Amino acid sequence: MFKNYFKIAVRNLWKTKGYSFLNIAGLAIGIACAGLIFLWVEDEVTYDQYYSNNKNIYKVKNSQTYDGTTFVFDATPGPLAQSMKADIPGIKTTARTTWGNRVLFSLDDKTIYEQGLYVDSGFFSIFHFRFLKGNAANPFPQLHSLVVTSDMAEKFFGTTDIVGKTLKVNNEQDYVITAVIKDLPENASFNKVHWFSPFRIYGENNQWLQEWGNNGIITYVQTEDNTNSNSINKKLVGYVKSRNKEANSEMSIYPNSRWRLYDSFDKNGAEKEGRIRYVKLFSLIAWIILIIACINFMNLATARSEQRAREVGVRKVLGAVKSKLIFQFLAESLIMTFISALVAVVIMYFTLPAFNNLVEKHLSLNLLAPLHIISLLVIVLISGLLAGSYPAFYLSSFNPVMVLKKLKLKNGAGAGFIRKSLVVIQFSVSVILIICTVIIYQQIRHTKDRDLGFNKNNLVFMSLQGKLKDNFTPIKNELLQSGIAENASLSSSDELQYGSNSGDFSWDGKDPGKQLLVSMVFVSPEHLSTAGMKLKEGRDFYPNAAADSNNVIINETLAKAMKTKNVIGSIISWGDEGKYTVVGVVKDFIYNNVYTDPAPLIFFCNPGYANYLSIRFRPDSDIRTALSGMESIIKKYNPGYPVEYNFVDDVFDMYFKGETLVGKLAAVFAVLAIIISCLGLFGLSAFTAENRIKEIGIRKVLGASTGGLATLLSKDFIRMVFISCIIAFPIAWWVMHSWLQDFEYRVAISWWIFFGAGLLALLIALVTVSFQAVKAAIANPVKSLRME
Amino acid sequence: MIKITNLEKIYRTEEVETVALNKLSIEVKGGEFVAVMGPSGCGKSTLLNILGLLDDPDAGSFVFNGIEVAKFNERKRADLRKHNIGFVFQSFNLIDELTVFENVELPLIYTGVKSADRKKRVEEVLDKVQIMHRRNHYPQQLSGGQQQRVAVARAVVNSPKLILADEPTGNLDSSNGNEVMQMLTDLNEQGTTIVMVTHSEHDARYSHRIIRMLDGQTVLENIMV
Ligand SMILES: Nc1ncnc2c1ncn2[C@@H]1O[C@H](COP(=O)(O)OP(=O)(O)OP(=O)(O)O)[C@@H](O)[C@H]1O
Ligand SMILES: [Mg+2]
Repeated sequence: MFKNYFKIAVRNLWKTKGYSFLNIAGLAIGIACAGLIFLWVEDEVTYDQYYSNNKNIYKVKNSQTYDGTTFVFDATPGPLAQSMKADIPGIKTTARTTWGNRVLFSLDDKTIYEQGLYVDSGFFSIFHFRFLKGNAANPFPQLHSLVVTSDMAEKFFGTTDIVGKTLKVNNEQDYVITAVIKDLPENASFNKVHWFSPFRIYGENNQWLQEWGNNGIITYVQTEDNTNSNSINKKLVGYVKSRNKEANSEMSIYPNSRWRLYDSFDKNGAEKEGRIRYVKLFSLIAWIILIIACINFMNLATARSEQRAREVGVRKVLGAVKSKLIFQFLAESLIMTFISALVAVVIMYFTLPAFNNLVEKHLSLNLLAPLHIISLLVIVLISGLLAGSYPAFYLSSFNPVMVLKKLKLKNGAGAGFIRKSLVVIQFSVSVILIICTVIIYQQIRHTKDRDLGFNKNNLVFMSLQGKLKDNFTPIKNELLQSGIAENASLSSSDELQYGSNSGDFSWDGKDPGKQLLVSMVFVSPEHLSTAGMKLKEGRDFYPNAAADSNNVIINETLAKAMKTKNVIGSIISWGDEGKYTVVGVVKDFIYNNVYTDPAPLIFFCNPGYANYLSIRFRPDSDIRTALSGMESIIKKYNPGYPVEYNFVDDVFDMYFKGETLVGKLAAVFAVLAIIISCLGLFGLSAFTAENRIKEIGIRKVLGASTGGLATLLSKDFIRMVFISCIIAFPIAWWVMHSWLQDFEYRVAISWWIFFGAGLLALLIALVTVSFQAVKAAIANPVKSLRME
Repeated sequence: MIKITNLEKIYRTEEVETVALNKLSIEVKGGEFVAVMGPSGCGKSTLLNILGLLDDPDAGSFVFNGIEVAKFNERKRADLRKHNIGFVFQSFNLIDELTVFENVELPLIYTGVKSADRKKRVEEVLDKVQIMHRRNHYPQQLSGGQQQRVAVARAVVNSPKLILADEPTGNLDSSNGNEVMQMLTDLNEQGTTIVMVTHSEHDARYSHRIIRMLDGQTVLENIMV
């Protein structure tokens, strides 16, 4: 029986090669596109699932509330890890880590910066890395121990058999390699980390970490099996306050499964969706693209119903019941989908490199992996049934008496309406995607072009390694004298991430009940001018830093928040540590979050706390010669360290990675949706032309013009695109309106985008349809009339 | 074998109501060869469709092999049909996508005959209608007469008790037509009941009895001698 269906299906495919091609191409594109998206989704949802004890891994989250707004972050006090393990039952291990340290390693004449972490040895009990060499139970037998990844081991030694060998760190201290671990998969945090050393080394250089009031490191927790995180969190309420009354921190543990996809919090400190939104959105789009492709199948199958009707009739006369016919048509569409899936796999293999490039991952399709093969089969099954269902029920319900009598099927009302509605759905989706793509790009452009309040071009920064800080003055002088740079300065953080902040500031007239979180930056006097910031009031720091050590410059937002008449000259106190006079107000500039207005900020004139060197090149200089000039000057004063720097505008562009990815994917989806819809439209218009060939012939004989006939045939389709626009506009507006709510700094949605998207869809549809319409209209009428 | 009494069939469209069968009563005995004749539009095909259980009457009784089937649902009708009735149409109605062999095989598939058995039986009937040598051809590659022979083969492959033929020679020239009529006669001699609609007095002469219809009613019955 199945063999019989199979035969008919294959012969049908072959007999109507053109339509089969349209169907298979559309479905294959849809399946390939959905397949790629699902690969991406798989990668995202399995992120950080590398460790065998995932369910027991947590990170400590710190939330602080200022003036009704809660900030949730990872920085925790140094003593927390040990203390909570001792105090709270259900905690198996805790471990502190730093945020990531770039350290210079040298072996003979090889000197390379590598990213790594200082960690408590408990870290390796929490995260089960694969130890290739060395002892996982005792990774740090001595203070200057070094656990490296096989990647880093290969880089220096060309082998992983290196336990006991040493590497020099920062040109000072020899560290002994005590273990080599397997490189982590790309979708695991710590993937960019290449070495681990005992936290004690870091702790000893940062005594401030000993205090409960200072938050500076990350704490990881491994719970005992069968321990509820709620019970631990209950014990953590007020935990830090009980150690330090001043502290404004509440701790809680946050499970590994949510680090990647959530880890986002609203103003009340409640968890909200992070990356998972995109995972959900793209999964939804994957299904929509599949449905669009299935719609082609349904439409072409029902449009061809007249050709199939006689077969249905004959089969019914010979005793086939409806259910058998339904089964037959479903089997046919499954065969078709299966062929499409094979084509889709080929398409995926060819497009995967480009897709990986787009999403910046290394995804791969593995047909031997059960998950992939099963997912593919599920996609085939679902789209096969989806695509086949309507034609199957529609075709199998034909009345054999009508069919065999060659009565014209009443194809009009019912089936025609459904067919048109399906086309309308396809085009609505296309129009929505076009509009979304344009608005997302507009938003990115809008933010990128935003007046930052400083000049991000021709500006580089580098972290202060070796003797850079000590030799700042001669370096700066030489940079200026050689004409390479316009200015150079030191600062505690780079221009885009003014990191540390405190709620401990007060001034005359400040409401004591309200704490205001203020960012702090410690700079050399040239910093504001190097960055190109503008003063609104007062003056810049004097060139002699010591002269301004008790003076500060604040930003406009803070000046406004202080609500004093004469900001210049007013006094700001920082806890009990000191009083500072405001000498200047800098015009607001954007930092940390490019989508919001800047938070209050204070510049202290204290280059002693600097971590970064900024250099502004002359605007007219050739970047390549400027860079090589800079490199040789810095090498001269800081030998033994490779010169590594970043352009501020490059780093700035990286902030848009997430949005740019969404924009690019939306564009790809929009193009695919249009291509698939047009394949369907192309087939459908061919059928319309074919079905009306006799009418066209008669009209032509009676004197209708080619243009008139083409219009007659295209009119219906144009109307469908119009209806699609009417449906798509409000949906697209709503989707984009809610998306934009995430950004405080955002574009206004303008009507011309809708108009343009509608026009584009119309043009594309017109081109697709008119090809068939014109072909039918110029055909010789004698031929078509004689056929009957 | 067939006994219909006061059978009515009314077609309703938006504007008009057509009474296709008007209180029609007919009886056909097992082994009979009956021809139905009458002007175009008098209800012959309608009658045949009802006899073939493709369509249901609006009123009246239809007893088939002693069972009242007028109120059967589609499933039951299909079941009864595939085991008992074979059809031959004026326009052959072969499936273009299937070969001669596969077309004839189809009824056996629907009645669940095993593959090896099917092959034997299909070859038997194809032999009988002398089309064995074209078994792997598609319908379009055959002449009209050959196609109708395949259609007859398909109608008889299940050894039905009743064959319904609606103008089986309507699309054929006289020599091909005669061949088909001869085949039907042979089948009838082997015991198959045949009801045939025709416009041709010549063809009607192959039958035992002619039922003449007008406006959905029988007006005359001629017994052949
Ligand atoms: N589906 C239908 N809807 C409406 N009227 C119908 C339908 N089928 C048949 N009729 C009408 O019923 C009447 C009988 O039709 P039927 O097909 O049985 O005629 P016929 O005797 O077979 O004619 P012919 O010799 O031309 O084939 C005709 O008047 C026809 O118009
Ligand atoms: Mg008729």
